[in-house]
Amino acid sequence: MTQILANKKSFWSFIILTVSFCVAIALVLELLARTPLLEKISPYRSVDSFDYQFEIKWFRLQDYVKSHGGVDIIFLGSSLVNTGVDPDIVAQTYFQQTGVQPRIFNFGVEGMTISPNSVIARLLVAQYHPALLIYVTEMRDYIAGNGLEYETPLMKDPWLQYRTGQYNLVGWLADNSSALQHYFPYRNWVRSDFPQTMAFYIKRYQETSASGYEPDSMIGVNVDVPPNPNDPAETQNFKDYGNYQIATSRLDDLKNILDFSKNQGTAVWVVEMPVHPTFYVYVGGETVHKQFQQTISSVVTTNGGSFLPSEACLGTIPLKGRSNRWHLNYIGAPYFSSCLGDQLAIFVEQSQINPIKAGTTR
Amino acid sequence: MSITSFVFIIFCAVSVLIYWRLPQHYRIPWLFAVSMVFVLTWSWSLAGILLVVATVNFFLGNWLGMAGSIPISSNDPGKSPGTVKNSRRILLWLGIGFNVLALVALKYSDFYVPALTRLLEKMGVHTGAGGLQLLVPIGLSFIAVQMISYLVDVHNRIFKPETGWLDFALYVVYFPKMLSGPVERARTIMPMFKQPKAPDAQAAERNFWLIVIGVFRKIVLADSLLSIIPAAIFQHPASFSGQDLVVYLLAYAFVIYNDFAGYTSIVRGVSGFFGIELTNNFKLPYFSRSISEFWERWHVSLSNWLRDYIFFPTSRVLLKKIPKRDQIVNLVVPPFATMLVSGLWHGIGWNFLVWGGLHGFYLFVERVSTLWSPRRLLNELPKWRQVLSALGIFVLVVLAWIPFRMELAIAWQYLVRMLTPSDWIKPDFWLLRMYLIGKTQVNSWTEFSLPDIRVFILLIPALLLDWKQSQHKDETFFTKWPGWGKALFLAVLILVVVLLAFAETGTPFIYQGF
Repeated sequence: MTQILANKKSFWSFIILTVSFCVAIALVLELLARTPLLEKISPYRSVDSFDYQFEIKWFRLQDYVKSHGGVDIIFLGSSLVNTGVDPDIVAQTYFQQTGVQPRIFNFGVEGMTISPNSVIARLLVAQYHPALLIYVTEMRDYIAGNGLEYETPLMKDPWLQYRTGQYNLVGWLADNSSALQHYFPYRNWVRSDFPQTMAFYIKRYQETSASGYEPDSMIGVNVDVPPNPNDPAETQNFKDYGNYQIATSRLDDLKNILDFSKNQGTAVWVVEMPVHPTFYVYVGGETVHKQFQQTISSVVTTNGGSFLPSEACLGTIPLKGRSNRWHLNYIGAPYFSSCLGDQLAIFVEQSQINPIKAGTTR
Repeated sequence: MSITSFVFIIFCAVSVLIYWRLPQHYRIPWLFAVSMVFVLTWSWSLAGILLVVATVNFFLGNWLGMAGSIPISSNDPGKSPGTVKNSRRILLWLGIGFNVLALVALKYSDFYVPALTRLLEKMGVHTGAGGLQLLVPIGLSFIAVQMISYLVDVHNRIFKPETGWLDFALYVVYFPKMLSGPVERARTIMPMFKQPKAPDAQAAERNFWLIVIGVFRKIVLADSLLSIIPAAIFQHPASFSGQDLVVYLLAYAFVIYNDFAGYTSIVRGVSGFFGIELTNNFKLPYFSRSISEFWERWHVSLSNWLRDYIFFPTSRVLLKKIPKRDQIVNLVVPPFATMLVSGLWHGIGWNFLVWGGLHGFYLFVERVSTLWSPRRLLNELPKWRQVLSALGIFVLVVLAWIPFRMELAIAWQYLVRMLTPSDWIKPDFWLLRMYLIGKTQVNSWTEFSLPDIRVFILLIPALLLDWKQSQHKDETFFTKWPGWGKALFLAVLILVVVLLAFAETGTPFIYQGF
């Protein structure tokens, strides 16, 4: 042991050399990751998040902003937004109405209810300062505990925690290292399910348009047939959505999103998703739905926002344009998006907001 | 406390630093204390069981020693040499019985607890909602065989019984070898406890690299390969193609080897810092050119134990009765008995018996073949024969892992499907080409019916490491590299381990389960 201590100097020089190599290799990898070549070979990026679809949207938006010089309007919501809103059609319709072409991105992510979306909205507004945030909502957003299976792990992500002010090394590295962002999509390469998950990830990445829209090819069956409470396949839905109550915490989340219009200079427009009316059978009928609309409309308007009820576009969507009672497919999305473009023009005119980001010249 | 955790590194570093600053007479108590802390991080009950096992064997050893040292007076007709011999033998069998019973009662409780619970319920004794629940102590199989060897050695007067309880208890709970061995003999390790050899700079460097190699084998090779193997393959082999079964079996062979060899390398390195050399359990076993050589290279400490305490005694007993080496009984019984015990040591199950039986059969065939042609030294064989033999032995060993890993009925399905040409699916290279040029999309890469390339990516460094170790005849051949080469190698390894840590693959050491 004495000899070991005598060799302390060479020990420490070995440690320093090792650390130096670690740093040097990391720097070389970082430089390589920032070259356009790697981007070409592997465009997939990740921040080691639980939700890979969130990551697809995050980096698609980053690329969108890079290629368009910014983003004016961001659609936010769940999978209903992801497959139901094509920003290019919204922008095109709006352009036809007003002669102005806004830059619009769809940030709808599967499973994201209003609770995690209030956090995501904060990140998006802080990073991109859009002129308008359109939050597309529906009744299930406000059921206490709904969507927790997505929300809880997402909120525990080191990167998200870092972004929301809780400093941690992994989060910092994920946010700042391009090399790690390019490695993370492959981080589970040693898992047995990797060939399946990666192929699926690539497929979804490729199917998601540059403006964030992911078309759904499925055409729903019996969407217009009211659900039967005695049907065993429907039991869970009735259990989940029956005795419908709006959770106060979820209304607080809505208020948090609406706060942007007061504090951050980003206007907020809350749009109700035109789900198929047979959905309301689960929650107790159209009366319950109307009560929901009244509550939400009241919260939105008292907090400086504006609310568009589902009826505004419901009639424009054909039955075959739905993949189930909630989601629109590749046929329905263009109808809804076109209607949204028209409604956006009306909203902009009425509310006197400028949907094009201040200072943008095009 | 996992031995691949950061906490373990700190724990060891602090323990070693304090250990060498203490006077010699405090070192054993210190080692015992840190070993108990390590055991306690696993469970309180485990600590209790180990202390009971240590105490019982300590007294049994001492009684055995005392029984052997009692002078027999010619005036005492009741204590003839035969009586003393008998009492020693009874004590020895009592000791063996105690250790085997402890092992069977605690480790193999799955086999009798359900029946016992039902019986107790019938008798009106209620065992609670969960039924009888017994702790399965980690490492007990390893400790049991060490205790038996200690008692046998004391009985055979090869080793004097240990008179200090603490010293003996340390032999039982010594943390680097407690979880999964190596199976150390008291006669080799106890003198080292008492006179540890302080590692010089060279030894310290060697210990350090042993740990590094161990971490590489465990985290980079074994854990990654294990994680790649679909769990379903060992339950529903019929859902996989023939080529998948071959590739994943190959992967499993390297998992079990690198997992255990990695563990052994780490604990040898750690123990070396305390000045206590542990047995090298793995000497490049997949390069063996005969089955007997395989067992001299695979789990060496247990193989030696089986040879000394099962194979040789059985052979001696049989040769006394039939004093001809080429008699069928002498050829068949010792290898089969040894390997069946080895199988049972791994677990009570027909699959382990078949695995042991297969190896017994291999050894038997090898012994029979020497009756006709005298055995040549393996190193004297032409190189091509050595390579061919090594390949053949590797195939036989890998085939034997099938019953080792799964239940017999499934193992049979696995083997049949793997060997049926019609169950091999032709790879779809056209689809692969279309996919690579972006003309088509797939839902899973299994659509290409290609063998899992990741297995081969990991087998390259695994084989390279073994090959280099074999070439240099030194497992820590890195120590001869220049300083910058070692630092670069370590830096790459650290980065690889860090990157792998982002995948969810954490798996315990396989041999902890035995």
